[in-house]
Amino acid sequence: MNPIPESVLNVKGQTRYIDDLPEAKTLLHAAVAASPCARGLLKGVDAGAALALHPSIRIITAADIPGVNQLGTAVADEPLLVAAGSEWGFRGQALALVLADSVSLARRAAGLVTFSFDELEPVLDAREAAAKGLIILSPRTQAMGDTAAAFASCATVISGRVESGGQEHVYLETQAALATPAEGCAMRVISGTQHPTGVQEGIARVLGLPMHLVEVEAPRLGGGFGGKEDQAALWAALACLGARVTGKPVKLVLSRKDDMRMTGKRHPYSSDFRIGVDSGGKILAFEADYYQNSGAICDLSPAILSRTLFHAASAYRIPNLRVTGYMCRTNLPPFTAFRGFGAPQAFFVIEAALDAVSRRTGIDGAKLRRQNLLCDGDSFHFGMPVENCRARLSFDRLVEKVKWESLRRNIDSHNAKDPLVKRGAALMPICFGVSFTKLLMNQGGSLVHVYKDGSILVSTGAVEMGQQVSRKIARVVALAFGVGIERVRVERTTTLTVANTYPTAASTGSDINGMAALAACQEIRARLLVEAATLLGAPAPELSMESGRVMRNGSPTPLSWDELVTRTHEARIDLSAHGFYATPDLVYDMKSERGSPFAYHVYGCAAVTASVDVLRGTWRLDSVSVVHDGGESIDRAVDIGQVEGALAQGLGWALLEDLRFDEKGKLLADTLSTYKVPDFHFMPEKVDVEFLEGFPNHRAVMRSKAIGEPPLVYGIAGYFAVLDAIAAARRTAVGGEGPGLYDIPLTPEKTLDCLMGARP
Amino acid sequence: MRVKLSVNGSVYEREVEEHFTLLRFLREELGFTGAKEGCGAGECGACTVFLDGKTVNSCMVLAVEADGSEVETIEGQALNGSLSDIQAAFDRHHAVQCGYCTGGMVLSVKELLKRIPKPTVPQIKEGIEGNFCRCTGYQQIIEAVLDVSGQAESAGKGELKHA
Repeated sequence: MNPIPESVLNVKGQTRYIDDLPEAKTLLHAAVAASPCARGLLKGVDAGAALALHPSIRIITAADIPGVNQLGTAVADEPLLVAAGSEWGFRGQALALVLADSVSLARRAAGLVTFSFDELEPVLDAREAAAKGLIILSPRTQAMGDTAAAFASCATVISGRVESGGQEHVYLETQAALATPAEGCAMRVISGTQHPTGVQEGIARVLGLPMHLVEVEAPRLGGGFGGKEDQAALWAALACLGARVTGKPVKLVLSRKDDMRMTGKRHPYSSDFRIGVDSGGKILAFEADYYQNSGAICDLSPAILSRTLFHAASAYRIPNLRVTGYMCRTNLPPFTAFRGFGAPQAFFVIEAALDAVSRRTGIDGAKLRRQNLLCDGDSFHFGMPVENCRARLSFDRLVEKVKWESLRRNIDSHNAKDPLVKRGAALMPICFGVSFTKLLMNQGGSLVHVYKDGSILVSTGAVEMGQQVSRKIARVVALAFGVGIERVRVERTTTLTVANTYPTAASTGSDINGMAALAACQEIRARLLVEAATLLGAPAPELSMESGRVMRNGSPTPLSWDELVTRTHEARIDLSAHGFYATPDLVYDMKSERGSPFAYHVYGCAAVTASVDVLRGTWRLDSVSVVHDGGESIDRAVDIGQVEGALAQGLGWALLEDLRFDEKGKLLADTLSTYKVPDFHFMPEKVDVEFLEGFPNHRAVMRSKAIGEPPLVYGIAGYFAVLDAIAAARRTAVGGEGPGLYDIPLTPEKTLDCLMGARP
Repeated sequence: MRVKLSVNGSVYEREVEEHFTLLRFLREELGFTGAKEGCGAGECGACTVFLDGKTVNSCMVLAVEADGSEVETIEGQALNGSLSDIQAAFDRHHAVQCGYCTGGMVLSVKELLKRIPKPTVPQIKEGIEGNFCRCTGYQQIIEAVLDVSGQAESAGKGELKHA
């Protein structure tokens, strides 16, 4: 019996997520009692009403924490539970943990816990926070050339303002953890996390344990998208705290509403740009200030800001550039990693700047973009040379594929005739750097066992959350040993098998962990081939493994994989190996902001067309076409799914998903009825994804390229397609150039405001 | 209250608290964890099951309301372990990523194809619009439905794009 592929378990409903696991008889369920306003000073916790509900109820507060009440890593600003006498920073922050013997009791009791507190004035706006000096760490600037001098020589200089909203992950499986006390002081926790080691570290700190007493297992996740990186640690640590205090297993599964209220989301940004071009449209200078709304807790904000700065110029050559980012502390939930990780916000700013240039100068948007694309021999503004650049290649292929010029003409002639439905189109390139921008994180390990029956078990730090990283790793391993993929099982990630891992994130999951798995396989393979050489009386360099057999100079020998494994084991040779990979050639100097922080870049180009109902303000996406630089794919079907899924999220962020807070910092869109995510009708009828063929990437496993995040950015073209249609309406109805404010998401409500001239 | 119902052809009788949803009853009392709670408010469709031949969001039905009914869950779709045609098409077209929405999605497709054996793309979208998927962007799901309804040629340029 071979392992059943995860996709088959999934369609059968047999995959077990955390809340599906059998429950111990002694299990306690947890719920969180959270802060009732955006900013307050906690004076006391009154649990009387909650405790009166049922004898099984227990209330746990910061005073019960045996170790350090701190989960923050970059900045120590994230208490597990806010302690009496301390301030909380956002509405929905954990103040007390409630345990009960059923989940409904625990949740009801959590609602009955009351707090005495002083309500304090919150700051919600990033610019207001910056003005008040509420900056996390310090502002960061990257620069190249001399912008001041360059602006002086520009034919056209335009300044503008750009806003982009937050985005809720809506992973369908909410945050969850199941903690079980083990022998001694040890703790075992199953955590829905993309970062098992991070969770392990956090638990060790709050329980006052060394890391070797904390075991964290990450089962398959029901979606992550960045929301279960640092954000998963809190729930796992709370479950462990409950388990430590009671000595019983504790399960904490957030309700959707709690998940939406209490967890981090994509950072809203407010930005200013200034762009200068010569008379032909060549970009000479660009400046931007990014005010990142970091929320109440630092979390991953510095790394996210870092990616914003690195992607400020997108796929364009800009000789004089100066960009500065500010992490603004506000009283909103801790904004965190979300697919794209600060890059989409930067892409939106530079695309807005180019849109403004195109509308002001009349230079066609496609022509303007193409002439400014990066080429080999250029360098990024942080000094990294541009190599294997596929910006023009993918751009030109897309223009050809969608017949851009006739498409534009058709749209213009439609718009000239139809006063009620205006059509629009937009096209944009991407250039996305792959690697964690924090150098140290670009490492990963693996453990490979070949069992004596020839079956293979692989463990890595890669967490499976639907991106099929396990399938890719299984393929890498099968190929390394020359056996069928059905011989390989990829084990779920635990801190017992692979230590000191970094999150499955930054699109690097298969790059780093695939390479680590390969390293272990190569070690075992070399041992097997030495034994094969002895058995066959042939020199090892002539031997290889293919189709379940040892080959000599490419021809089959009588020695099968199974027999070789058995004989190697009988010869008392180790059939297990630990593999390790650290992405080579990464260097970066934070002081000078110079270096090569990425292993490589992913290029591509997208065109989106849309229609706007001029009377109602509703829009419809008509088509999306993508030409994507994906290297040699390890699994094309998986990669297509990643592109299409990322596109939906990117389009959702650009047009639909409206993360709204009221003036007191209360999240208004805290259910799936008030927070709209893309549904079947949102996506355009025509989604055409083409991969550039014949461009292997020699800087990643099996010549592939990272796929998870880059295509999300294409969604921005959806914004500009709708904007183009609005502009067509305004030229006839209102007049004017384009918006004075570029503002994501461009919801139907905002669209109508634009059409009515109520927005700039 | 005492509730008696059949799930995937087997009869179960249990004492149940009145406020228990059918979803919790299936998951916690009977162990059918294939139906998931995505939102608990009838918005996402991850908890979809058949109740007397019609799909419902089982988080919006009380267990006591299902007394005397026939329930069908995702666990009942693969007969003797082999995948149903819809399940096989989902697998073949890579219409599954994280898997959390998949069970509900498969059942909604089954209900759609019972009503409309060869749905057009707009009919597919309308038929399963109550099910959210946050991973796939829906394209591969639509292709799987076209394929399983014998319309493979519509699933992309005369050939199956992702098969």
